[in-house]
Amino acid sequence: MRTTLGPLDASGRVPAQQQTRVASFLISAHGAEARLLAGALSSSVLTLVPGVVQVGLQTQLCREAEVLTLLQGATRWQPDPMLLWLLPRWELAWLPQPVAGIGIDQSLAFDAAAFGFALHTAIRPAVLLPREATPTDGFAAALRQIELEGSRTVQPQLRFLKSPALAALRPAISQAVERRHAQLRTLWAEMLAGIGIAIAS
Amino acid sequence: MDTLQHGRYSVHYELAGPDHGPTIVLVNGLTQYSALWTPYRSALAEHGYRVISFDLLGQGQSDKPSLFIEQDDQVAILRELIDAIGRPPVFLAGISFGGIIALRYAIEHGATLAGLVAMSTFAELSPQLQLIGNALRNGLILGGIEYLQDLLLPMNVSDAWLNDRLDQLDEIKRPGWLVNDLYALQNLMESFLDFQPLTPRLGEIGVPTMILNGEFDFLTPRSLHETLRTHIPHSALVIVPRGYHAFTLEQPRLTAWLLARFAQDVLGGSWEGGGSIWLAPAQEGGTLIRFPSGFDHLRAVPMRTGQHSAGAKRAPTGAKRPHK
Repeated sequence: MRTTLGPLDASGRVPAQQQTRVASFLISAHGAEARLLAGALSSSVLTLVPGVVQVGLQTQLCREAEVLTLLQGATRWQPDPMLLWLLPRWELAWLPQPVAGIGIDQSLAFDAAAFGFALHTAIRPAVLLPREATPTDGFAAALRQIELEGSRTVQPQLRFLKSPALAALRPAISQAVERRHAQLRTLWAEMLAGIGIAIAS
Repeated sequence: MDTLQHGRYSVHYELAGPDHGPTIVLVNGLTQYSALWTPYRSALAEHGYRVISFDLLGQGQSDKPSLFIEQDDQVAILRELIDAIGRPPVFLAGISFGGIIALRYAIEHGATLAGLVAMSTFAELSPQLQLIGNALRNGLILGGIEYLQDLLLPMNVSDAWLNDRLDQLDEIKRPGWLVNDLYALQNLMESFLDFQPLTPRLGEIGVPTMILNGEFDFLTPRSLHETLRTHIPHSALVIVPRGYHAFTLEQPRLTAWLLARFAQDVLGGSWEGGGSIWLAPAQEGGTLIRFPSGFDHLRAVPMRTGQHSAGAKRAPTGAKRPHK
């Protein structure tokens, strides 16, 4: 098992099979986050937090679309029969999960934020790139871009989840975040193991 | 991998040296990780010390809580670690962020310590430090871990050190980039949002304390260490020549020797605290020189104490000038 993508081809690019599998996972997860956010933006709980947080979440919805189009264009795709099994498994995992002890409307907003926070922090695609990867390769650049943008993208979620107005709900929120973190880390590690890469889950 | 369990979190630690004390516990700065203390583990173990280094919650190979990291938890972990694998007498040394944790530990659990070493650290956030901290946090958010590393590296070490490694900087930064996670660093930085100055409680530190400050440390300058010196009863300030904020990385042999010598002096009963001020030698094994009497150690130029006293008004809250 390797710890980074590769072996690279003669021109320093990640193999198409690995590109396909990694991009499929990321598109599935970021697409799910876009759907979760779209639902959460009408939640009544957002009235409890400053308007700037709502604006940030709205901006993030657009950024998720950016990730999807970026990967669709930058990836060298090849047929991957395993995706017939993996994609439904991932999509099932991304379904909204209620947060214990919180009403369904508010719960979905917390879950969307928890999922997005976990997606942009627990998943670090750029660390998979070996040092020898061609910096001008579109796929490598896309992974770096997604990780770099993640730090900015995640700030509205953080402000929402850490909002003092929601302090009373903090244990339930923390639990939801930890659960989404664990879920994403596990599925990310499993997906990578399937293409010969070992990381700590 | 050795781990300590703190509630549902695992804390990674590394242990070197004999089974019995004395023990020296090393506490990381913000972006550090346990492996960076490797030269200290070997150097201090050779002197017969049991050496413990570890990753704070949110760092390196320790667990990284998603949303909140409380400094109280870091102090509690340190207590559990010392209780579990420390062998008395225990000396505690922390740098920068880790220095804060070490100071808090010494205030709350001083009875378990034989001595404290506070390195490149502070008891309160001066306006400069507060603004620099905000800028570093924004840099982390806007530019990621790599950008934070780019900001910190030239603040932390000297031109001489950098000059020898300009073609290796990517390799030097990569382990830190791999092992640290942005959200965890952000959580660690945000654990200062409700930081209360420690100055009023520094007098409760009853153990001998060595304060190490790099001569050219402009991230946590001399004035911040002066607050420690003037408020911790059995302290001495030792200025590390040509040292910057991370002199522990740049001058490990000298710093390890200073730690061993401090422990030796304390255990031998020859530690001279009393708010004294010293200059460390340029290399290990040299002689510590008392800061020249009558000169102002807070100035960058050799001014006599009392001259240009307007500068004294700019010292942070709690700092008393001049030294004895």
